[in-house]
Amino acid sequence: MDHLTRLENKSIYIIREAYYQFKNIAMLWSVGKDSTTLLWLCRKAFFGHLPFPIIHIDTSYKFLEMYQFRDERAKEWNLNLLIAKNEEKLKGGMGPGQGSKLDCCNELKTNALKSVIKKYHLKAILLGIRRDEHGIRAKERYFSPRDSQFKWDYENQPAELWDQYQSMVEEEEHFRIHPILHFTEFDIWNYVKREELPIVPLYFSKNGKRFRSIGCVPCCSPIDSNAQTIDEIVEEIRISKTSERSGRAQDKENIYTMQKLRALGYM
Amino acid sequence: MKKAFIIGIDGVPHSLLSTYIENGIMPNLKKILSQGLALHQINASIPDISSVSWTSFNTGVNPGEHGIYGFTDLKPDSYSLYFPNSKDIDAPTFWEILGKTDQKTSTLVQKYHKKISHPYRSTIFNVPHTYPALPMNGILVSGFVAIDLKKAIFPESAYTYLNSINYLIDVEAEKAKEDKMVFMKSLFECFEIRKKAISHFFKEESWDLFFACITETDRLHHFFFDASNDKENPYHEFFIRFYMELDKFIKILYERFVQRYSGKGFFMVLSDHGFAPVKKEVYINRFLEEKGFLFLKNEGNFYERVENKTKAFSLDPCRIYIHGKDIYPRGTVRKEEKTALLEEMKKILRGLKGENGDEVIDKIFEKEEIYHGPHTRMAPDLVCLPKDGYDLKGSLEKKEIFGYNIFKGMHTWHDAFCIIPENISFSQKPSIDNLTEYMIQYYSQ
Amino acid sequence: MDQEEHALPIVIVGHVDHGKSTLIGRLLYDTDCLPPDKYSEIQKSSEMLGREVEFAFVMDCFEEERSRGITIDTTQTFFKTPKRRYVIIDAPGHKEFLKNMITGSSQAEAALLIIDAFEGIQDQTRRHAYILGMLGFKQVCVLLNKIDLVEYSQDKFIQLKVEVTDFLNQLNIHPTFILPISAIHGDNVAKPSEKISWFDGPTVLQALDTFYELKVEEKPLRFPIQDIYQMDGKKILVGRIESGHLAKGESLFLLPEKKKVVVKSIKKFLEKDVPTVHFEESVGICLKGRQKVRRGQILSGDLSFMISDRINANIFWMDPIPYQMGGPLLFRCVTQEVPCRIEKIHKKFDPASMEWVKEDASSILGAEVADILIHLESQVIVDPFNDIPEMGRFVLEKGRRPVAGGIIL
Repeated sequence: MDHLTRLENKSIYIIREAYYQFKNIAMLWSVGKDSTTLLWLCRKAFFGHLPFPIIHIDTSYKFLEMYQFRDERAKEWNLNLLIAKNEEKLKGGMGPGQGSKLDCCNELKTNALKSVIKKYHLKAILLGIRRDEHGIRAKERYFSPRDSQFKWDYENQPAELWDQYQSMVEEEEHFRIHPILHFTEFDIWNYVKREELPIVPLYFSKNGKRFRSIGCVPCCSPIDSNAQTIDEIVEEIRISKTSERSGRAQDKENIYTMQKLRALGYM
Repeated sequence: MKKAFIIGIDGVPHSLLSTYIENGIMPNLKKILSQGLALHQINASIPDISSVSWTSFNTGVNPGEHGIYGFTDLKPDSYSLYFPNSKDIDAPTFWEILGKTDQKTSTLVQKYHKKISHPYRSTIFNVPHTYPALPMNGILVSGFVAIDLKKAIFPESAYTYLNSINYLIDVEAEKAKEDKMVFMKSLFECFEIRKKAISHFFKEESWDLFFACITETDRLHHFFFDASNDKENPYHEFFIRFYMELDKFIKILYERFVQRYSGKGFFMVLSDHGFAPVKKEVYINRFLEEKGFLFLKNEGNFYERVENKTKAFSLDPCRIYIHGKDIYPRGTVRKEEKTALLEEMKKILRGLKGENGDEVIDKIFEKEEIYHGPHTRMAPDLVCLPKDGYDLKGSLEKKEIFGYNIFKGMHTWHDAFCIIPENISFSQKPSIDNLTEYMIQYYSQ
Repeated sequence: MDQEEHALPIVIVGHVDHGKSTLIGRLLYDTDCLPPDKYSEIQKSSEMLGREVEFAFVMDCFEEERSRGITIDTTQTFFKTPKRRYVIIDAPGHKEFLKNMITGSSQAEAALLIIDAFEGIQDQTRRHAYILGMLGFKQVCVLLNKIDLVEYSQDKFIQLKVEVTDFLNQLNIHPTFILPISAIHGDNVAKPSEKISWFDGPTVLQALDTFYELKVEEKPLRFPIQDIYQMDGKKILVGRIESGHLAKGESLFLLPEKKKVVVKSIKKFLEKDVPTVHFEESVGICLKGRQKVRRGQILSGDLSFMISDRINANIFWMDPIPYQMGGPLLFRCVTQEVPCRIEKIHKKFDPASMEWVKEDASSILGAEVADILIHLESQVIVDPFNDIPEMGRFVLEKGRRPVAGGIIL
């Protein structure tokens, strides 16, 4: 079985297990490449008939291309799409331009999600988080810590099982399930290519810039890149990872040190 | 029984802290200050970079004794840039002195060595510039810049625990450019893990001295300092929220410490430098080029580009080195010429003006004025401190003297703080390296 | 990235100073499997040092990448012989290794136990050996390394060989080979050595080539039912193939009832007329006729499984709260979930003395390994762990939290 198929099968198993264990679940779709991949895997798991809704948390500040993409897919794939919006706050003029970002994120995102969870009595949410996104995610678990445990979760069983560790992010009282934890950024792109998945055009270079991650317009910045196809993006990622790895141990440490210092404005 | 608890908070300005204490954002710190502790403004090291400042505090001596002048330095008799680390610190740290594992000497050691009756055990956590972790009496977990978690921990047994909680030495500042919101969130997440680890070691380890640093504040300030007091700023609420959590955490640690040791321990909180909003970055090497002091060729890495006729060049943030014949392979400035050259440079530097005609440079020091000890030879000949708002940089690649960057905050030398038992009084404004002695005194009484 | 050829996963265990890193470096180097950038790095360092220590640097490199922690490195350590590829499973510490093997996050099919010929059996040697025993490893090759330090002496080798065999047999390990080697000089690892001309056994690579692969994909079918979906009036059984393969039209046994059923069709999204599906695939199938089906039942290709409500197993207790005999637990093996109790503790492994303790224990403490008898409320289907791993590993839960992992030998 090739690498991507193995990853895919594992995800499908986890998604089906989550549905069995919680029944009343939903998938959070940010319309980005990771959650779109997750959506595709959910479709595979349920043979095209998703028995649960797809939630888009709409702050109304997303890129136009994202809205278009979202609506096209919802139609094409016959999704039960729930758009979670904090209408009240939006009417009151809330946004990243006016007032605090904390409030903005809280009200327009977090609280919008909370209301949806409450309204539909959701027990668990499927999310498209990957382990290699960030150092903090490196030990993330397939099923979040509280109750239900599955033996497939075992590889993620650090001391945190017996701990009271709660991050600021996990304020909601439901479960978070991460079926694509084991996909790397590299894997996602290869999978998107293999499955010919549609993704938001913002990922591809236009005028020497492209977005590596997409969210709300005011908070996202593009990177310099000329990659216009998936192959080019994959090559870009591969090069950056190889250059990280090659070189002598001490040289490597020096390179990392330099990167760190540069990121803080030194050198 | 002697117990000391020290909390370091990287880059927190005295002025900001006072404001937050006054306007109710840090009520716990306010309460702590009414219980026998006092808040003072102090000076950071010169230059006011974390690696130098914390090292000055850790060793209790100036760079002329400990040998660390910045994150980068040039190898002697060469133009090769290197990153000094813990092995390059030439004076013992206070935990080495108190633990009686010191193998180097310094003026501080000489004074107190005989007065420490027996070895004291320390837990040193996330203190910058202690990487790689060197053997000591207790536990040490290095703070930034540290690349390999395993090498950042002494002894090895502590690695298992930290690995299991997914401990992070530092947030990824590189990500701040891509998505500020994600970066802001990662600061909070990293802080959570940091707090958890500190609590764990506080409870589970036996120690006579506990010194832990919070370094997220420095990162917060670099990227979001403009949000510190500006209510209109979109990140303002996040900023205050961070300080509120910091306040709560300090309270928890303080109360536990006081309770455990019936209020008889030595408690201290300090920062290694302050912060101010950035107006502009100032590229000193470009300035030196334009004024005819620096000549660079195109080939070579960093300072390998320095040409013979160069009279002086600068390393981050503004350490100016005379291109002496006796010091550098291609150096052309003779010893007799140095004094006059220094005077000329000082004059020209003072003449550097910003956009509104305001002065960029606040203070200029010659090395003998501020450095004393065996490492004064390799010290910069001149060090400049800027006026708040002008961030001096040592880049060799800039084509203009002034420029902008994504950073919102810059280090300041004059606005660090310490919170210390109120019976300690200072006859003049202390420097960070003066504080260490008070701690050693506590153990030697 | 190349498409995957099957590689035999092996684990290399033993005391950390007995030459594990050097052996790995040697295996990679002698089979030309050292990645080019690593090789030039090593050359530079060894030139600098003027010594033959280059192979330890290979492992340092891998160590570093792993400890960096930020990117999870998906590349693994491979080497090959003309016969096949091998992949080295990481065994950082014995507890990690044990946990990973039991829970399936890594699956080694053979083990190399490395012992310093000069130092002999050390504590870590014992610990790793007990784990190999506990896991029922059938394919173990013992390497008596640093044979150069005992002057390549045949007498010393024989003496040590006897000692080691005795020691391992007590742990129920019967090594397939015991070989003299010197990893640092390359004696008998990839190539035989004239310095060990008295030895007529294989080199390490030759020994490895004699090992058989588990080939779970060729074992009899085991398809535990994960859930049932109703779609277009049809019942689709979904689950993952834990061994073997499944074909349309095939006749299978529905367990535990042992009812004979036939596969009507195999469902995969966007694929029509799927004829067969294989090991590790998560699929949907429809059976002929109307069947009473539920999660937890197993579709099996034959009757070679074990079915019982009393099972002997080796468990690794993970909960800080000890287990008191007779306390209720939940047994979970693939999708089967059945209440149970531990009825008897045959023996426990004491990590302190590093021996199996035969006394009648009544409790199991955290991080202890125990050989036990489980009594379940109803019958379950299992297979030996070294045969069909997923059907031979299970979790015990208390209050919906896993407290132990175990395997059935």
